[in-house]
Amino acid sequence: MNTSTVDIILHLFHYLFFTYAVAAIGSYIILAIISGKETIEYLKKNSFVNYKDILSSTMSPSITIIAPAYNESLNVVENVRSLLSNHYVNYSVIIVNDGSKDDSLEKLIEAYDLEKIDYIINEKLKTKPLRSGVYKSKNPAFEKLMVVDKENGGKADALNMGLNISTTEYVACIDVDCLLLEDALQKMIKPFLEATDAKVIATGGVIRIANSCVIRGGKLIDVNLPKSLLVQSQILEYLRAFLLGRMAWSRLNGLLVISGAFGIFDKKIAIEVGGYDTETVGEDMEIIVRMRRYMEEKGEKYKVSYIPDPLCWTEAPDSYKIFISQRNRWTRGTIETLKKHRKIGFNRKYGSFGLLSYPYWLIFERLAPIIELVGILYFVVLVVLQQVRWEYAVSFFVLAYLFSVLFSIVALYSEELTFHQYKKKGNGYKLVLLTALEPFVLHPFILYAAIRGNIDYYFNKKKKWGVMQRKGLTSA
Amino acid sequence: MIDIQYFVDYYNDFPFLVKLVWIVSGLMFSAIILLTIYLKVIRYYLRKKDKEFTKFKNEYEALLVEYLYADIESEEFNKEQQAIILKIKDHILFKNKRKMIISILYNLMNEVSGEMADSIKTLYYKTGLIDYALTRLKNKNWYIIAKGIGELTRFTVADVHDDVIKFIKHPKREVRKETQLYLVSLYHFEGLSFLNELKEPLSEWDQVQLLEILQKLDDQEICDIRPWLRSTNDTVVLFALKLSQIYNQFEVKDSLMDLLSHQNKSIRIYVIEVLTHLYGIEAKDKLKANFNDLSIEEQISFFGLLEKLVIPSDEPFIEKHLFHKNFEIQLLALKILKSINIDKFMGLNNLPTHKKSPAMLKLEKIA
Repeated sequence: MNTSTVDIILHLFHYLFFTYAVAAIGSYIILAIISGKETIEYLKKNSFVNYKDILSSTMSPSITIIAPAYNESLNVVENVRSLLSNHYVNYSVIIVNDGSKDDSLEKLIEAYDLEKIDYIINEKLKTKPLRSGVYKSKNPAFEKLMVVDKENGGKADALNMGLNISTTEYVACIDVDCLLLEDALQKMIKPFLEATDAKVIATGGVIRIANSCVIRGGKLIDVNLPKSLLVQSQILEYLRAFLLGRMAWSRLNGLLVISGAFGIFDKKIAIEVGGYDTETVGEDMEIIVRMRRYMEEKGEKYKVSYIPDPLCWTEAPDSYKIFISQRNRWTRGTIETLKKHRKIGFNRKYGSFGLLSYPYWLIFERLAPIIELVGILYFVVLVVLQQVRWEYAVSFFVLAYLFSVLFSIVALYSEELTFHQYKKKGNGYKLVLLTALEPFVLHPFILYAAIRGNIDYYFNKKKKWGVMQRKGLTSA
Repeated sequence: MIDIQYFVDYYNDFPFLVKLVWIVSGLMFSAIILLTIYLKVIRYYLRKKDKEFTKFKNEYEALLVEYLYADIESEEFNKEQQAIILKIKDHILFKNKRKMIISILYNLMNEVSGEMADSIKTLYYKTGLIDYALTRLKNKNWYIIAKGIGELTRFTVADVHDDVIKFIKHPKREVRKETQLYLVSLYHFEGLSFLNELKEPLSEWDQVQLLEILQKLDDQEICDIRPWLRSTNDTVVLFALKLSQIYNQFEVKDSLMDLLSHQNKSIRIYVIEVLTHLYGIEAKDKLKANFNDLSIEEQISFFGLLEKLVIPSDEPFIEKHLFHKNFEIQLLALKILKSINIDKFMGLNNLPTHKKSPAMLKLEKIA
């Protein structure tokens, strides 16, 4: 290659990275503006809603909460109590004990006075078989509860078992260790009931981080900022993602994922598409993409909704090892889903789903870590070759950093002006300080986990979920 | 000492793009500093507001309770009550305090009834809070209007009917909904007359709220719902079906029978459910005759009806569907057969395994 060819290639690289960075920043700004508008509209709409009517109404639709549990012996009794304390009138809870090796089932039997019942399961979705069977409580106080003990098949398989057993129109799929606020169901069901021009197929909600929060009797009593820098950084990351990203995608009807921690689905559609995919580690994203694809192919108007209220609180990883394992799985889940449904991408037949949502996820989620890594390697090569134009490099680095800090501060604003959860004196200062630190204490690990996820996806096919050790939420 | 000129010269030597980036970075940095300071102010203000609210709430709850329990029999206000009214009048000049007082009154209205509720309503009038609600109706923002109507509904202000009814065809759904709730809260079943001309869809959410208000009324005498069952607005028909189910409207069975051939599948399915509830035995023959033309959901609903209203002469029909392609229908058919002819049901056990339906095999497993 002669010098001019090398120059052309270098220039191409420069323009590629520059265009990508501008496009990414531009998309974040646009999404943040749309999110802001959508949040304001949401708050206006709901500022005078009387949720009490839907609470007590026997005409409100029934919902089944499906919570898979695997080796959750430590907290399962307390967690189920939290699920049973929801204020909604028409709901039931199915705990699917997914072949736990610990004494989860025994603890549930003892705590809730369960007895084995004969139950005919309509196997609309193929699942692993029952192990010891289906249990209901003898105590009328727990009549809403059903426990299903089955052979281990993974989270998706357990959720499919729940879908087979539930008899309601809507199902809320949640992680058993999540803390649901008492008004979560009536707020989440509202989009389904309000829609008249399009069918709402699923609704997702904000997930908040509960580490260090005080929980009593299954209820959130006090919101605290955890001491761990890693967990604090995740709080900031979640605020940014949920308040400045997903609200916008909801407005654009382009949501591709509803967090597996808490989402409500139209059961009929979920079953018609074949339930959760047991072959992927990103089953929460995959089912939404499949449901959307199904509706697009049927030509029916539909919507995937999202609400910003902090209704579901969960425990975030507090060690880098577990955090990396979790993000590795998320990356593999995204790759698997986008690959499986690649037909949708850039396909006019799927409208904005194929021309906007899918390409966005592919370019700014799926490819982002790869492009970032290539950028870093390219920079190293330039340093070695002494080809770095430092005035450009330093100025763009500073710009990118300041943008990241500013964007996080906007997310904090969004939080303060809407739900204002971190009220305590000193929390504001900590969070602002965190906006400056987070690019160094969290982002490098996210990048590392995503790259490992890519490597594992292509070269370590056997890797599945990985370990997610939980310490349990703080009980007072 | 820092030589500023050196930096200026250094900066001036940069290419245009780099200069631009530094300018944008400078602006961002300034924005970060300003927003950080402002964030502190906002947080301080929000904390202060929270504290004030708690303090004000305690103070006013005590005051309002004192007002309510002060000589409830008498029609005249005593001195203490007048003093309380004057105090509230002063405070409602401030928007924040007005909001707090309304919110406290709202909560109190939820907890009391009868004379106490009337007393709160009088207070609402006497303090002039009603005037603020009426001013809201003239606001150009839809959500302020909706809040105003909601407030008038909560305090059952009937004499502003003409001001509120104007919003029944408002382009914003939330305003229309609040107007509908106002009409039904105050005029009960008569208030449902807006359904006669309703062109826009009545969402499930709206329906649940309307039904909830109606079910809490003392007067449960329902009006004639037949016109709504014939409405061209499908959501009105669905709402009327819910009314006929809740209020056991046996007299509308003929209209329900007509709806069995409605073009909307959701309506047809719901009609079968309502007929099941109303012992609509006359629907059986019609549905049996068209059974194969029905959708699976309608067929399942019909088997639900049969489960409740089956008679021995239905046995051949049930038997015919023991091997239906749908598992739920198989299971329902088995359950119904068991209830009308236990011997025949038991006889099914003698079938060879390969001739049994999936539902039979499942039943056998748990038996």
